[in-house]
Amino acid sequence: MTSKVIDEFTIPRCSGKAFRVDKGQSFRIIEHEGKQVAGLIFLNAHNYKEQFMAEFSGGLNYFHPDGMGSHYRLSKLYSKVPYENVMLTVTDNKIGDHFLGPHCTRTMMELWNAPGHRSCSDNFTDALQEFGLELGDIYSPSVFNAFANVRIDPGGDGCVRIEPPRSEKGDYIEFLAEMDVLVAVSACPDDKSAMNDHLCKSIRIQVSEAQQ
Amino acid sequence: MAWEVVQDLVVPKSTGKTMRVGKGQLFRVIEHEGKQVVDLTFLNAHDYKEHFAAEYSAMLNSLQGTGGYYRLTRLYSKPPYENVMATVVDDKVGDGARGGERAGHFMMCHCSNRLLEHLGLPGTRTCSDNFADAYREIGLKQEDTYDETIFNVWMNSWLGEDGAMNFARPLAETGDHIDFLAEMDLVAVFSVCPDETSPCNDFKAKALRFQVLEQKE
Repeated sequence: MTSKVIDEFTIPRCSGKAFRVDKGQSFRIIEHEGKQVAGLIFLNAHNYKEQFMAEFSGGLNYFHPDGMGSHYRLSKLYSKVPYENVMLTVTDNKIGDHFLGPHCTRTMMELWNAPGHRSCSDNFTDALQEFGLELGDIYSPSVFNAFANVRIDPGGDGCVRIEPPRSEKGDYIEFLAEMDVLVAVSACPDDKSAMNDHLCKSIRIQVSEAQQ
Repeated sequence: MAWEVVQDLVVPKSTGKTMRVGKGQLFRVIEHEGKQVVDLTFLNAHDYKEHFAAEYSAMLNSLQGTGGYYRLTRLYSKPPYENVMATVVDDKVGDGARGGERAGHFMMCHCSNRLLEHLGLPGTRTCSDNFADAYREIGLKQEDTYDETIFNVWMNSWLGEDGAMNFARPLAETGDHIDFLAEMDLVAVFSVCPDETSPCNDFKAKALRFQVLEQKE
């Protein structure tokens, strides 16, 4: 079944953008050039306090009676307590890599000896501004980092391992909106770690109409 | 110079509570009966929008070699604040005194109503209920707070390479403690985890002891 594309645009490298997707519509986050992470924040379009909670969704998917996935491969995206609603469903995810964890920030850039370097915090600040929101209104710095090839060590202190993405040009992840949502995207500006294979690139977005 | 206990509370099993900790004071959590987890977060006492971010702290400590998802030294607040709110200054269990393959804390989610539904146990008391009670003490609603990712002290859980969520019994025994030095005026918000369905609290919810200590000349 194919559905009609109703909107399509490119998010330039190292920038952020927000857009609205109505219930029943689908959208794809597409690798425009390859090996580029897209940080994603989701909000209920009618109640900005109802926000996607990243890590929590990992547990809820893992312990779902039908085994909906895990921290490293999510099917259902849930909102924070006390709501805990399914906001979106992943409907196509061939690469399967994403990291439910922090986006990059000012402090991370400082730790990478790049004080003042642009971070996802700046991109999200710009993106959220379009909807009258500030970064301070977002409860958690943990987001859906699409295409991020990041693992947490299962032993010791639980350190974070960042590897280059495995996604190539044309690869995509597709989400179905289960409610009217605002999507804020950051084309991650990190060229300090392996997150984007040390080169920041653009991301393509495609929104499709609801299927009848 | 010696530390003097200025507040000493045994908090009953399966409840939530808040405690104020002034800058420079120590917040101590003590295993009262052993193998009991506390789900812990902190707020800036003067601006509740500035709260502790556990997973973000795991990332920042990992980059500094001072911890990760299973142990922390520096507890940071969320962006755009990104301040060190507290420092772990005594953590024998996390430092390996009780053995184990990992430090034995967990910077991730707590039990919630949806989780217990998924486990086929709807209506069971969860950390979400405890946090709702705790926040009520300081006039906050859960809609306006964030406790989804917290410092699960002594929660011996980990993610497998495949993303599987694993649980084992806590390593901490009666009398073990962890000390947090407050780097700003804080409100500690916590849930004495009510879970009895998993090894999380060794299948039995128990009480915990909390102290605030002050340095005396």
